[in-house]
Amino acid sequence: MGGKKPTGVETKEGITDMLFFFSSVSHSQITRLYSRFTSLDKGENGTLSREDFQRIPELAINPLGDRIINAFFPEGEDQVNFRGFMRTLAHFRPIEDNEKSKDQNGPEPLNSRSNKLHFAFRLYDLDKDDKISRDELLQVLRMMVGVNISDEQLGSIADRTIQEADQDGDCAISFAEFVKVLEKVDVEQKMSIRFLH
Amino acid sequence: MQWTALGLMERQRAGSKGTATVLAALLSSFLQAAGVGALHSSLVAENGSWAAEEAQGNASMEHTFFSLDYQHVQVPFEITLWIMLASLAKIAFHLYNKLPSVVPESCLLIFVGLIMGGIIYGLNDKSPPVMDSDIFFLYLLPPIVLDAGYFMPSRPFFENIGTILLYAVVGTIWNVFGIGFSLYGICQVRAFGLRDVSLLHNLLFGSLIAAVDPVAVLAVFEEIHVNEKLHILVFGESLLNDAVTVVLYKLFRSFCEMPAIKTVDVFAGVGKFFVVGIGGVLVGLTFGMTSAFTTRFTKDIRVIEPLFVFLYSYLSYLTAEMFHLSGIVAIIACAMGMKRYVEANISLKSHTTVKYFMKMWSSVSDTLIFIFLGVSTIGENHEWNWPYIFFTVIFCLIWRALGVLVLTFFVNRFHVNTVTSKDQFIIAYGGLRGAICFSLVFLLPDFRRKKLFIAATTVVILFTVFAQGMTIRPLVDLLHVKRKRESAPTVGEQIHIRFLDHLLAGIEDISGHWGQYYWKDKLEYFNSKYLQKFLLREYDQPKSSIVLLYEKLERKHAIELAEAGQLGHAPSHPSLLNSDRTVISEKKSEDALCPDGLEDIQEILARNLYRIRRTGPAYSRHTLPGETEPVEQAQEILILQRRSLRVDASGSDGISPRKEKICLPPPKDKIPPKGHCFL
Repeated sequence: MGGKKPTGVETKEGITDMLFFFSSVSHSQITRLYSRFTSLDKGENGTLSREDFQRIPELAINPLGDRIINAFFPEGEDQVNFRGFMRTLAHFRPIEDNEKSKDQNGPEPLNSRSNKLHFAFRLYDLDKDDKISRDELLQVLRMMVGVNISDEQLGSIADRTIQEADQDGDCAISFAEFVKVLEKVDVEQKMSIRFLH
Repeated sequence: MQWTALGLMERQRAGSKGTATVLAALLSSFLQAAGVGALHSSLVAENGSWAAEEAQGNASMEHTFFSLDYQHVQVPFEITLWIMLASLAKIAFHLYNKLPSVVPESCLLIFVGLIMGGIIYGLNDKSPPVMDSDIFFLYLLPPIVLDAGYFMPSRPFFENIGTILLYAVVGTIWNVFGIGFSLYGICQVRAFGLRDVSLLHNLLFGSLIAAVDPVAVLAVFEEIHVNEKLHILVFGESLLNDAVTVVLYKLFRSFCEMPAIKTVDVFAGVGKFFVVGIGGVLVGLTFGMTSAFTTRFTKDIRVIEPLFVFLYSYLSYLTAEMFHLSGIVAIIACAMGMKRYVEANISLKSHTTVKYFMKMWSSVSDTLIFIFLGVSTIGENHEWNWPYIFFTVIFCLIWRALGVLVLTFFVNRFHVNTVTSKDQFIIAYGGLRGAICFSLVFLLPDFRRKKLFIAATTVVILFTVFAQGMTIRPLVDLLHVKRKRESAPTVGEQIHIRFLDHLLAGIEDISGHWGQYYWKDKLEYFNSKYLQKFLLREYDQPKSSIVLLYEKLERKHAIELAEAGQLGHAPSHPSLLNSDRTVISEKKSEDALCPDGLEDIQEILARNLYRIRRTGPAYSRHTLPGETEPVEQAQEILILQRRSLRVDASGSDGISPRKEKICLPPPKDKIPPKGHCFL
């Protein structure tokens, strides 16, 4: 696709690099996402800042909007380049059938079930201690729920959630427990979007 | 004054004749001129005799005050009375709360129409006026389609445009030929006495009965709440299949009149389809752009701004009909094309006016159509050949179901978000026929078996509206419930699933999930470079309602801070809580894992979790877009977010419902809703 300002990524090497890094994301998907990236990048400096994300109107009314935006930015940074953008979005590629039977020796692709769930887990777990504490759960609940629920009710819901999931008795949800709660849910389908229709 | 006149007349003529006179006078206003000549002359006679009695010196002073000149106002009077009847009927239904949930409104309206038709038939002893096809196509249908096109949520529509077109075009053609050929097969059976109905006639009938009707579909889908994608699929299909219907209907009709059919004619028919469809879109877009351009200059005469929207849309419809293109497609293209520019140009009040008027007109049209449908059913227009009718109904159902199954199979191979079997059932079952079929059948050329077709159409429409319309909701609920009973989700599951849904919606918005993103990007580019300069008065980014809301909040931030004291303060005001909620929280502290508590929690969650973008009706007949729940939810979220930002910015407030550590840059003049980081 022409008509865009060329940056390093557009070159053949850049794309091949991407393809290798993201294990079989297709060429057309990358170019399509790149054009989205550049259209979001109003400052046209090859990176996205948080303002660029917040300009998306639907994101502003998404209860988890801020956290999702944050997930794109590496630790402590304010700008994300296309590689980082792709890396985050690569989690949401659907799992193709032929990938499921691939050998287990290679590194796990970003869009495996486990990595998808890990991504979601990291959105809960802000202090990165690999556990969802009661407080963190409460914060997320408060964001997702209307204004009519009192703090006590919210607290009891959070308690119940932790009690259901907690198996090692530490009153927090570890990643393994999180995975177990969602074992009946079709995460592969839920957390996938097709980037090209 | 006229009522006083009638009152006097009543007193004048005592007894049964008086009552009959009053009744006749009342009913005369419900009848059209053609059928009412006899009654009119009697009224005039009464008037005349009244005047004559007056001349005999009874009360000569009153003569000039009380005269009845009905013919002078007849047409507008009757029209107004019909509309009044329709609106009063609507009020009556909604007064009794339970009724609309069991029986969809369309059924009730047809029922009222049936009663009216019965009354007129009984009194007049001949068929009541049949709904004139012209009136339907020229006056009653455009407002509804305009309303649908204007409020059509464009993102889901264009996202699914491929599927919609597939269902509309291929599905309709499939249905037409399927029904036509199978009915022809039925006609071959000697026992039914239908040998003389030729294949062409059957195909003609098939073409008008196969089309799903947007009016009926809308009316019924209001009641059942399906997800956005499904809603847009059925709705979009019902709107777009008009093009196919028009072409096939006209094609077969011209074939009926032609002595011989050559293959060239068939190809001409296929070509005509493209002309009709694309021509309709072009006509619509032309008028849409012209309308947008016109509104650029209306800054000083705000009062007539809404008028332009309606005038141009109606013109596009009429122009398309004039050229035998698809008027429905034209008016939809016009509405969707001009919407964003017009909304940016006209004032807020004009905008509200446009929205309200559209809703009002489409509502009235809708009601009138169904009542007329009922009225026209009664009468001597029908030939009841029960086998034919029965098989028509059966084939309509079968072919629709087959068509949906086959097409969905193809669709699902290309999409991750498949159309589930439950969705397929709803699409197939929701293929309602309505007034369009009815009008088309009356437009048929007069041939021997026309009444048979009329009868069959009537029965199909009544069946789909009543039987399918009434049962679709319980069936949907049944399917829902079945799903639920299989695995009752735990609280944790529910929360995490909702969390994932929000996450996915956000990621989709970020990645720009339009399928044909390339074209959208090109269109946006074209738009910002050329169209906006041309069509917008202030060369600004057209603002979405969310951005407008943002700005409104900015202006009123002082009031917001005051509100902040009341918004999230439920915990410390027990009086605000309902009694059952306090009971729940007490129960909670006793035993967290007791099963009763689980149901309460589920209920609380179900009621209070914010909906994700994808669920919920995207288009509603009776409410304006700004007044539905998702927008209130959006406002709530925005207010909460901004409040939390402001609270942390000021730092000194004791209210801090958010426990996150948020660091903000030093406050600037305009408090930015951005640039915060999370620890």
